[in-house]
Amino acid sequence: MADGTALEVPADLAQIAEEKGIPLDLVRRGLALGFPADAIKGQLGMPGVTAEAAEQFISEQERIRAGGEITIPQELLEVAQKHEWPESLVKRALALGAAPDFVAKQIEAGIKPDQAERFIAQQEAAREGGLAQTLDLSWMKVPTEWGIRVRPGNRGLTVEMLNVGTYADVPDHWPYQTEMPRGAYPIPGVAPMGYTIYEKAELWADNAGDLYEEAIQRRWKPATDIPWTTMEPLPDEIERALGQLCTHLCERALLSGDIVGRWLPEMSYGYHEVKLYLSTAAFDYARQFEVFRKRAMSNGGGLGLQSPGYFHRAIIDARAWTEASVVLNIFAASHIMGLYEVGAYSAHNEAESLIFRLGMQDVGRQLSYGVQHLRYFLSKRIERRAEIHNYLNKAEAVFAFEEEKDVPLREALIILLGGGTRNEQVADGIAKLEYFNRRWVRAYLSRLAAAGFPERREKLHPSLKKYIEEPAAAAAA
Amino acid sequence: MTQEVKTKATFPSVEWFNAIRQIVNDDPGYKHIGTCDATVGIKIPDLQKYYLLTFEAFEVSDVREATETEAENADFWLELPYVKWKEMIENIKANGKADLHHTLNTIDIEEPDDLARSHDGYRRDAFYRFNQTFQYFFDASARIDTTFQ
Repeated sequence: MADGTALEVPADLAQIAEEKGIPLDLVRRGLALGFPADAIKGQLGMPGVTAEAAEQFISEQERIRAGGEITIPQELLEVAQKHEWPESLVKRALALGAAPDFVAKQIEAGIKPDQAERFIAQQEAAREGGLAQTLDLSWMKVPTEWGIRVRPGNRGLTVEMLNVGTYADVPDHWPYQTEMPRGAYPIPGVAPMGYTIYEKAELWADNAGDLYEEAIQRRWKPATDIPWTTMEPLPDEIERALGQLCTHLCERALLSGDIVGRWLPEMSYGYHEVKLYLSTAAFDYARQFEVFRKRAMSNGGGLGLQSPGYFHRAIIDARAWTEASVVLNIFAASHIMGLYEVGAYSAHNEAESLIFRLGMQDVGRQLSYGVQHLRYFLSKRIERRAEIHNYLNKAEAVFAFEEEKDVPLREALIILLGGGTRNEQVADGIAKLEYFNRRWVRAYLSRLAAAGFPERREKLHPSLKKYIEEPAAAAAA
Repeated sequence: MTQEVKTKATFPSVEWFNAIRQIVNDDPGYKHIGTCDATVGIKIPDLQKYYLLTFEAFEVSDVREATETEAENADFWLELPYVKWKEMIENIKANGKADLHHTLNTIDIEEPDDLARSHDGYRRDAFYRFNQTFQYFFDASARIDTTFQ
């Protein structure tokens, strides 16, 4: 028997022991066996603990400690054998004072022998005083939800699958100004990180977690996934037109990446799904820049003239993320998708065709985030509906001005669509550009309608409205 | 893409779509593209034939004949007259995969009412988001011996 007569019992432990009718001598014997006071307190606090049961447990531990044989109850033995736990490991767990039914539950819950071995070794070291002397371990009592064991599904282990129990609570307002991840427990005194977006309505999209996984899964590599060797020399005017389009797309990609990069640090950590998705969007923009620069410089051509840049300013000057998102992820992305369709349609080889079709996948995710965020915003901020019109009024007007000023891009598109610079080719290119403009404006409006904003059709800027009117009406106008 | 032809099937039929489904589900190259979650309707209006394809995670989980309404309730549906479906499939067979003028995207652009249609602008964008998966699926028809009605 361990000599515990000299050990002092902490006051709070003594109080619980008294309330439960457990003799203090029994508590001292437990402390002498090396059980931490907090652990004894936790055990005594369990329902159904009696002095008789405690005496039986302590006596058994003292017997084992004195070299007595450890007997594994038959029921536990069967569970251990079924899950291929070595008997020696089970005995070490019992020697540490773990109740047989507790050990059985841990085994059945899926704890692997190697995981258990590490934990048991730590506990044994602590029992011997090796760890207890150097480690505080009070942090292990953090009141977060514990025992989470998410299993992978047919998509693997996804971010959305981690939203279980209290970890699935995504609050409307995130109260913490630090980098603490959602579900962790805050400590006082941590300096704020300077975020400005703490309202879920200001950034949330229900599909953000899935879009993150999609972006990771469907990533592609311009360096090796594009069959660059399929390119052959093109007529000079075609190569120059493509170079001009690539220059424009490079600018748009860089700008979009800057915008996302600027807003990410504003978003608080409570909404990590959005931050994760937008980090992939920033990567997508980098890849778009990369692939169009590579296309411009890999077939005897090069880059062209820079864009006037008015529209760039209209996006980057946004003062709220929802404004930036509606303009960048719905309006501008719809236009980019239209340009990619021009590229896919006029592709001269497999490399160009694949570049634009792979790019569509990336832009498709940007559109999907934009639509779902606007839908969520409108459902939570009904009073701010008119604000969205104002964002788009400004963006569409500046876009129309930019489109008028950006003669190089317009002419490049006409040449690509018409196939050259002869009169009949130019006439064909102009007609086709009109067709493509109708396509992207129609898709833009259908996305806004899907976001719960169908009335935008009536307020569309005149320069865009002409694309959704019947040809006769447009001609009359 | 290999040209190993083992299966014969008639287009359009559930057997034809299932033959392709079997090929892509056994193909590591298909899984390499990444996950795809979408329901896709197939409409061949002049034959009044409608199908529903379910893409789930790394596989095509279901193929079945459907009503026109069911096809239209998918995320989006692909609609072409029979002769154009035939042209696309024959082009894929001849080239081992769609040439530049017969990809789903180029056909979509050239069709005045689109190849990919949806009642919902958000769900329709699945056509863009997963276009390489859908293209891989139809390109795999080069690996079967298609007969036409």
